[in-house]
Amino acid sequence: MMKKWGNINYKNMISFLRIIKFAFFDIGRNISLSFMTVFILVLMLLSVNVLWSIDVIAKQAVGSVKKQIDISFYFIPTATQTEVDDIDKYLKAQPEVTEVKVLSATQVLDNFKARHKDEKETINALGELSENPFGPTMIVRAKDPNDYKKIIQAMNVPEYQKIIESQSFDQHEASIEKLNTIIGRIEKIGLGLTILFAIISFLIIFNTIRVSINTQRAEISIKRLVGASNWFIRGPYLIEAIIFTIVSVALTFVIVFVAAGWLDSYLSVIFASNFSLTNYFKSNIFFLGSLQAIAVLLLTVVSSGLAMRRQLKV
Amino acid sequence: MIRISEVTKIYTHKAPPALRNINLFIDAGEFVSIVGQSGTGKTTLVKLIIAEEKPTRGTIDIGDCDITKISASAVPFLRRQIGVVFQDFRLLPKKTVHENVSFALEVAGEKQSRIRKVVPQVLEVVGLSAKATSYPYQLSGGEQQRAAIARALAHAPKILVADEPTGNLDTINTHEVIEILKKINEFGTTILLVTHNRETVNHLRRRVVTLQDGEIASDEKVGKYKL
Repeated sequence: MMKKWGNINYKNMISFLRIIKFAFFDIGRNISLSFMTVFILVLMLLSVNVLWSIDVIAKQAVGSVKKQIDISFYFIPTATQTEVDDIDKYLKAQPEVTEVKVLSATQVLDNFKARHKDEKETINALGELSENPFGPTMIVRAKDPNDYKKIIQAMNVPEYQKIIESQSFDQHEASIEKLNTIIGRIEKIGLGLTILFAIISFLIIFNTIRVSINTQRAEISIKRLVGASNWFIRGPYLIEAIIFTIVSVALTFVIVFVAAGWLDSYLSVIFASNFSLTNYFKSNIFFLGSLQAIAVLLLTVVSSGLAMRRQLKV
Repeated sequence: MIRISEVTKIYTHKAPPALRNINLFIDAGEFVSIVGQSGTGKTTLVKLIIAEEKPTRGTIDIGDCDITKISASAVPFLRRQIGVVFQDFRLLPKKTVHENVSFALEVAGEKQSRIRKVVPQVLEVVGLSAKATSYPYQLSGGEQQRAAIARALAHAPKILVADEPTGNLDTINTHEVIEILKKINEFGTTILLVTHNRETVNHLRRRVVTLQDGEIASDEKVGKYKL
């Protein structure tokens, strides 16, 4: 009994090795079809990666804008230091607030002078005033742009409102909403295009594999005639699908890394932070690689499975 | 042995049955010719025996196994026990004679050492040892059919089904192929020869089963082509 099972396992192993041999043989024999299959898969994966990169860059852009967002409260010149300190404590106690920076009236005046140093008329006008026309300024940063509304609401206390001259936030809010809308659209368009590419690729791959299998129809019928199991007939196509997947994903990532490296020099100018598309792909290569490999493998296996269904009918 | 009991095969209800209530018993080691005009169900009978088709009704026993009840995964194992040759040879054009025969053993997972031993033996049986490295296109029709027979013999089958094996051959090659089939039969293999070649059947002087309109019209121990 043990000998029989040992013999079966040995035969299975020989069959498996022969399946691999036949797979490579088929790829070599249909080299142009194999090349075409890989080419289409690479095109599909590239389009997916381009859309993915656009999404990543857009999110990075929003992140950069969000980091630059703050809200400034301009106090009246008569606001006392105690009143400003009270508001400072109050805001720091709010969970949404990450940073509160207070500029004294003198600092605000100095900053104003520095900004307008080339405008003599403005500087002269200031000099004619006996007192500092500016009050202190408070710059507040929150964890999330959506939190600024809460901060504004929190500041809506009559006691505080009477010493606040103005506040600046509205313009940022509009730009964030605009960017979020753009990202939402990019994601929707990206998803739509990815599905469209997947459908087109499925149809092209399915037909490419079907043509390849049809050219081997006689051979498949002979395999069946001489007693090859369905697994033995299907096996080489499965191995081919795995080979096509590995080659196409590897080729795609080579192209993606070359393109990302080239884009990085431009992105570093746009984004002040150390954002790098290459680093993004490096740190996510396992996730992105396996996700795309699984998708391509499913696509090729399902295509060849459907294309072979008729040939394998007993 | 092959036992066909009450077998009916209907492909479509719009047409008459391809086979109707067939009862046939073929003993081990017999040489049986199945004759009949085109469309009488000869090829359907072959397809049923090699489990390429399933009968609509009835059973087919090969040895102790009812092949109408075997699972799809068991069919390849059945086909390794039944050698089949066809009129169109069905050789792989890009493989040599040796490789074509080896292929039958490779798909069954046979060891390379066994393949090296068996292939020259079967090529010798069919007289193709000298043509082992030739490609099918380099062979005559008769030689191609002998190569197909060698491939069918690779698994040392107990039954050899030959569906019109001489249909594409001239008289000399036909004679050669029939002589090889007789030789294989002498080794103990059951031969089922499907043909409409009158001379061949009459020359054999073996059992002849005549099919007509999907039914057995006659079954004679030493028969002649009557149609």
